[in-house]
Amino acid sequence: MSSKLYDPERDPVRIAGRWVRWGLAWVAVPAILGVFMAGNIDVHALPIVGPERETAVLFQDGQAYFGHLDDSGESGTLVLRDAYYFADAKGAPTGLSVGLVRRGAEAHEPADGMRINRDKVLALEQVGLSSAVAVAIQAERDIDHASASPLSLNRMSVGSAQVLTLQRTAAEHDIQRGYAAATDQLAKLNELVLPVTKAEAQTINQKAIADLQAVRRNALAALAVALGTNANEAQAYASATDAVLEGQRFANEAAVLLAPNLNSVVSRAAQLYAQVGDVYAKQLTEPRTASPSPTPTSSPRP
Amino acid sequence: MNAIGNRYRRTALWVRTHGGMLRNVGLATLVFVVMFFFTQWWDFTVPSLGRPQYQAVFLTNGQTYFGRYYDRIGAYVKIEDVYYLQEAQSTDPSQPSGTKLVRRGAELHAPTHRMLVPKSAILFVEDLTDASPIAQFMAQDRR
Repeated sequence: MSSKLYDPERDPVRIAGRWVRWGLAWVAVPAILGVFMAGNIDVHALPIVGPERETAVLFQDGQAYFGHLDDSGESGTLVLRDAYYFADAKGAPTGLSVGLVRRGAEAHEPADGMRINRDKVLALEQVGLSSAVAVAIQAERDIDHASASPLSLNRMSVGSAQVLTLQRTAAEHDIQRGYAAATDQLAKLNELVLPVTKAEAQTINQKAIADLQAVRRNALAALAVALGTNANEAQAYASATDAVLEGQRFANEAAVLLAPNLNSVVSRAAQLYAQVGDVYAKQLTEPRTASPSPTPTSSPRP
Repeated sequence: MNAIGNRYRRTALWVRTHGGMLRNVGLATLVFVVMFFFTQWWDFTVPSLGRPQYQAVFLTNGQTYFGRYYDRIGAYVKIEDVYYLQEAQSTDPSQPSGTKLVRRGAELHAPTHRMLVPKSAILFVEDLTDASPIAQFMAQDRR
């Protein structure tokens, strides 16, 4: 009799259960999903809404890395992709104390994706897209002919032709500044009292200048090759630019952070300028010893 | 005209039949969007009422940052409008070199005004009083 009076549709426990299930499915789950997605996605990084998001990871030991950061995991590890970092460049002709290097060209040739221990991180910052670092990275992508994937949530920006022209010009001026510094060093050395005759010093200087010019020409050719021209065009470009740069100093020009490919050309040129300078400085400052005669003198007989 | 009328009637019938489902999906989408943007705005910061405007954040590597410090749920704290002390080289070699307060943002990577710092990298945090010259400088610089 009582079972006939029982209507499950009016049972308050069942009604409450239905509301709880409905609330979970249509309110709680979307709310949790919304919080989770917002915590892991920067709305400005979405391809339609905003531009690329480049993050600076500053380490406790003073190092700085830049790239696309994935901090969505709960494992205490951050993943940085397409990573670049600052390398020491004190005394370089760029006029900056650091140079930008792309991660991946080291001796162990690491694959893309640095896994970083969060405990070693000092701070995370968003890189300004018009900053020197961002522009150098964009230029590097242009040199490498990198293209942005349409499916990426953080689409990379690629430098324009104008950016590349500015970078090329800055690299040319850096190469010339390195050359000017090396010739200045040589001139200072010649002001000292040298253990060689004036004629010998002049010959050494001429050789040194010729070698430094060869370094500059080769650096300009390497620059052209790095920018994607073929070997013949690179030589023609080097000869033409070499003539334009001759005698210029660019001393008060604002420093430009170069794309890693161009920076490596400038750094190599600076190394070679230093090597050439050292070799000829040694020749200028070391006293000449009497050269041994080609035939041995006959020893006095007893 | 008749074909269009039929199509309209069929659509209206489908909407009447699936009205409950449509309402639920609409509600779920609304809840998702509201929570998404609320969380983006909230940024997981823990509310701090009646606290001074600026703080000094001392880090484990010896550096100190000044700015508006926000505790957050999760692994990071947030500092906004960050300043730091930089040694200023004196042009006169007989004078000792002083320090100056620099607003973060003019570095080579031109960082935005928001910095995230892992909690493990923080030694301690102190509030700056209104009389603090650093707090006064930052307040004046923001205007």
